Amino acid sequence: MRTLVLGLGNELAGDDAAGLLAARAVREDLEGLADVVESGASGIALIEELAGYDRAVVVDAIRTSRRPPGEVVELDLSDLGPPVAPSLHQAGLAELAAVAARLGLPFPARTVVMAVEVVDPYTIGGPMSEPVRRALPELARRIRVQVERWRDEDEAGGAVGGVEEQGARLRGR
Amino acid sequence: MGSEILIDPITRLEGHGRIHIFLDDDGEVDRAYLQIPELRGFETFARGRRAEDMPQITSRICGVCPMAHHMAGTKTLDDLYHVDPPPAATKVREMVYDAFMVEDHALHFFFLGGPDFVVGPSAPKAERNVLGVIGKVGLEVGKEVIGVRKELRGLISDAAGKVIHPVFGLPGGISQPVSPELRDRFAAGAARAVEFGKFALQVFRDVVLSNREYVDLVTSEAYTHRTYYLGLVDERNRVNYYDGRLRVVDPDGAELVTFPAREYLDHVAEHVEPWSYLKFCYLRDVGWKGFTDGVDSGVFAVAPLARLNASEGMSTPVAQEAYEELCSTLGGKPVHYTLATHWARLVELVNAAERMAELAADPDITSPEVRRIPTETPTEGIGVVEAPRGTLIHHYATDERGLITQANLIVATQNNAARIALSVDKAAKALVHGAEVDEALLNRVEMAFRAYDPCFGCATHALPGQMPLIVEVRDPSGTLVRELRRD
Repeated sequence: MRTLVLGLGNELAGDDAAGLLAARAVREDLEGLADVVESGASGIALIEELAGYDRAVVVDAIRTSRRPPGEVVELDLSDLGPPVAPSLHQAGLAELAAVAARLGLPFPARTVVMAVEVVDPYTIGGPMSEPVRRALPELARRIRVQVERWRDEDEAGGAVGGVEEQGARLRGR
Repeated sequence: MGSEILIDPITRLEGHGRIHIFLDDDGEVDRAYLQIPELRGFETFARGRRAEDMPQITSRICGVCPMAHHMAGTKTLDDLYHVDPPPAATKVREMVYDAFMVEDHALHFFFLGGPDFVVGPSAPKAERNVLGVIGKVGLEVGKEVIGVRKELRGLISDAAGKVIHPVFGLPGGISQPVSPELRDRFAAGAARAVEFGKFALQVFRDVVLSNREYVDLVTSEAYTHRTYYLGLVDERNRVNYYDGRLRVVDPDGAELVTFPAREYLDHVAEHVEPWSYLKFCYLRDVGWKGFTDGVDSGVFAVAPLARLNASEGMSTPVAQEAYEELCSTLGGKPVHYTLATHWARLVELVNAAERMAELAADPDITSPEVRRIPTETPTEGIGVVEAPRGTLIHHYATDERGLITQANLIVATQNNAARIALSVDKAAKALVHGAEVDEALLNRVEMAFRAYDPCFGCATHALPGQMPLIVEVRDPSGTLVRELRRD
């Protein structure tokens, strides 16, 4: 089972660095359990980052202005809406999964998005906001918990995990 | 426009494109414009940093076209340090850059323009997406888009260190020579890319040109703007993406001026509007006459179609043939049909692939002489490349230690901003009467600006969802009479 932790964002743009920094923070702890990749890529281009893994944690910044800054949310593909992006810049994970499935590319059967609510992700050289900075350890902790949960499932016996993984593949793809 | 834009939980960072439409007393459109969020603060951030870090820093500004920023930054350093790279370094840079152009254009044609052209503007909304494109062109083509791209990105990584954030360009050269093995792989990748490009052109003929409805749409007045065009050309006035002089043609196709990148500021100025962060570039030689086209207006365009218009042709044989077909099919140059940009993108794809093959076969390409160490005191530098989305200019000034005192980037979207504004305005005027706004407007306006592929602030690495768009219609008093959201 190959696991990816994919941190997304722009390191130069204030709060937008959150996903990258959280991924970087777990890199050593997860050595041997997951590949940790930091990327500023977007949309369809992310297919190449995700292809070849069985499961993935995608870590990113999100701005809804409806949640308190620094709140960490976990989403899965079904939360992300239908694949209708008309632009590759805006193409979403659900769309990537659908495209990969259609093309027969190996794509994670399980993907969890961990996102932190941010304040200003638009200012180059801008400071990271205090609530987001404080949330980074929690974001990192949740990544570790998720990856370790998958490892524990693997170790608890291939049978249960295996069936579940297969089921997810069949349903999702 | 000071109010905060609310972003739906599933639409992430890049914010909404917001279209503002103002009606006159008769309920007809007075004016319409598109507002897009933009990254801020770059200039302040750059000040005091070492100039030689700029190619790395600027490649991190944008996850979509890091190589374009890296290369523009590198060329700016050559100019800043008054050093000419050895021939092998220049050729390797161009070869790597061409590989980037091919992979970017391939993705765009099929996955970005595809929903409009391959699937079709009148197809049901549920099919107007990437899956619809794959359904129409077939799985093998879809796989080849991904496959070609993967191969080329592997080559770029091996030549430039990293594909996302290259560590490649240095003032006066590049960080490592190309080995004979890597040269052979570039040659093979180029050959595959040329074949892919020819195939893509055939798809365009079969799917788009054979369909009267599409051709009528491309040539319709709603998508036509008679503006000036700007692009880099080589010494024979052929399109080049990496280097050359900037050439401007007028709406009748006559050359207005050709100048080296260094003189950019003498010819292009920026107009500011109160309603947008974005500065609107226009030709100083003609002047700002507002958002209008024609020979008296300094509005110009960049990007694939503009490059073809601004040149006298393509530098390679298959691309030249495709270029001639495009021009003759669409009634001669310059081609003013915005939507023809998608076709021009394919002509360029083949051109960049053929050029990559030429450079891979060049005896200089594996030369170990890839660096000339700068010895001059740095002062001021300007560098230009043609990014996939159009002319990209970096401009740095430093103190005598090489620390940045001033840095400015003029990106493609900024060069195109005035013409994009024209397109939005024209689509709105054609479709909106009174407060009646429906999906057709959204789709049609989207098609207009998607052809330019504007970057919504170089910060777009969106995860989920669709392109978020809000249309606001206001009466002459400024009262909101209708809002259409798609987020």
